[in-house]
Amino acid sequence: MLLKAGSRSILVLIAVLIVLAIVPFFAGLFYQTFLTEILIWALFALSFDLLFGYTGMLSFGQALFFGLGGYAISIPIIRLGAGTGTCLILSILIPMLFAWFVGYFSVKLSGIHFVIITIIFALIGNTLGDTWTSLTGGDDGMAFTVSPLNLGIFQIDLMNISSSYWLVLGIVTLSYLFLVRLVESPLGKIFISIRENEERAELIGYNTRRYKLLSFIIAGGLSGLSGGLYSLTLKYSSADFLHWSISGHGVLYTIVGGTGTLSGPILGTVIIRLLEHHLTEFLKGTDLVVGIVLVAMVLLAPQGLVGLIKSVGRKESKHA
Amino acid sequence: MHNGSGTILETKSVVKSFGGLMAVSNASLVVEKGAMRALIGPNGAGKTTLLNLITGQLPVTSGQIFFKGEDITKLGPDVISKKGIARTLQITSIFSGLTVYENIWTAVQSRKRFFNPFVHASKLQDVKEKVEYMLELTGLHDKAHAVSSELSYGDQRLLEIGIALSTEPELLLLDEPTAGLSTDESVILVRKIREMIAGKTIILVEHDMGVVMDLAERITVLYNGVILTEGTPQEIKDNEKVRKVYLGT
Repeated sequence: MLLKAGSRSILVLIAVLIVLAIVPFFAGLFYQTFLTEILIWALFALSFDLLFGYTGMLSFGQALFFGLGGYAISIPIIRLGAGTGTCLILSILIPMLFAWFVGYFSVKLSGIHFVIITIIFALIGNTLGDTWTSLTGGDDGMAFTVSPLNLGIFQIDLMNISSSYWLVLGIVTLSYLFLVRLVESPLGKIFISIRENEERAELIGYNTRRYKLLSFIIAGGLSGLSGGLYSLTLKYSSADFLHWSISGHGVLYTIVGGTGTLSGPILGTVIIRLLEHHLTEFLKGTDLVVGIVLVAMVLLAPQGLVGLIKSVGRKESKHA
Repeated sequence: MHNGSGTILETKSVVKSFGGLMAVSNASLVVEKGAMRALIGPNGAGKTTLLNLITGQLPVTSGQIFFKGEDITKLGPDVISKKGIARTLQITSIFSGLTVYENIWTAVQSRKRFFNPFVHASKLQDVKEKVEYMLELTGLHDKAHAVSSELSYGDQRLLEIGIALSTEPELLLLDEPTAGLSTDESVILVRKIREMIAGKTIILVEHDMGVVMDLAERITVLYNGVILTEGTPQEIKDNEKVRKVYLGT
């Protein structure tokens, strides 16, 4: 092996980014939109994985923060005429604030109780979004137009599909790099130790409740950012963003791809989205297929696709 | 209050009741700094419960616990760990999905303060050196990159002691370190423990009388949540009451 594993993965990342960056030059608008969505959902899945795959907290309520991120874009733009950049920052900060509140009550619970309380908070959010129509537009949602994003010397016109794609690619890449750094940091090691054995982590001096809350807040911010990007690219937000099935997407992509890895949620998102897309052309029941894929993965490859690939790799290197 | 300069741990009339059941009743215990104290008693005597009270894993019903003269009765396990008390559990408690190296790393890291939480963990030179030292001390160096769930049971017990020692405790509570091991393995582990913990204060809960007689300087006998007696191994051996309730002869 000429390169260390670390520098190899950097090369892979750079290659993938170059390919993704030039997509708008040869792919049609449909595929650019399709890829934009994949990137956004991958970010959403990554935020869930930080909680579940790295900190061991199974949240079924990430839709709450996704939806809040969407509202943090649409409401300030429509009601206050706020700028796009400001709204993007709000789409991280507002969900983080709510995650602090929700997490404060939730991280005291563990196991199934934690799962249930996160569902309940998301349901409350969904109901509020549905009924407080004067603010949120309810089920019908609200459409809006987006002013160009000012980045100092150049502007990004978000009514243009390619520009939106590049913006999303940039933000998702930055978020990914942030997570790579996070999980390798001392803080990331603490999250992982809580996943592995919370009692032991506490016995060696970690205030596990505080770290779980921190993980919950960071994940809430990233879920929010993905919801914000979704709303920004659709120029639309609605109470459906807070629906429990949105949370389910994040869980599904992550489990299929592989929890506790950062490539897993991305891979899972790509595979499931591609499956859904190609199957809808000749099949109406995509949910059924996706369900079967999920059950098959959980039974046959509980470590997800990434785990499957790794174990195949190990076997081959043993034979070699 | 601090009673005597040599005292490291003192429990004063500590009571723990679960509903109507008195798991620990009126336990007053003084442990001298540097001592090797064994805590023995039949099943259900309240030994593990007493350890749980000391480490803050359970709240006391009444009474007080002092560590180095400071009242730690109401503190949580993480704070008590930082004060300098570490423990191992009866059922091995390690980070089983992580490697031996990562297990020790996580424990060593707990004693550091980070000004930059985003520094790459592997760049922390002082943590690295301490981890290497702990791996040498436990003798697990050759298995550093093995996933800890794949270690032998004896090595897992050893790793857990290594984790506890990595937090640089002044008082170490060992809850049946040889439970589940064969006599041969127990002997090896005990020898290793003795080597690793030289100079530290130990409270050892143990069923294996051989291990207790071998390691302990003083023995406290618990029975039905009450401290029955305390003395040197020889005194305990000769004690009529102890024989009756514990040794069954």
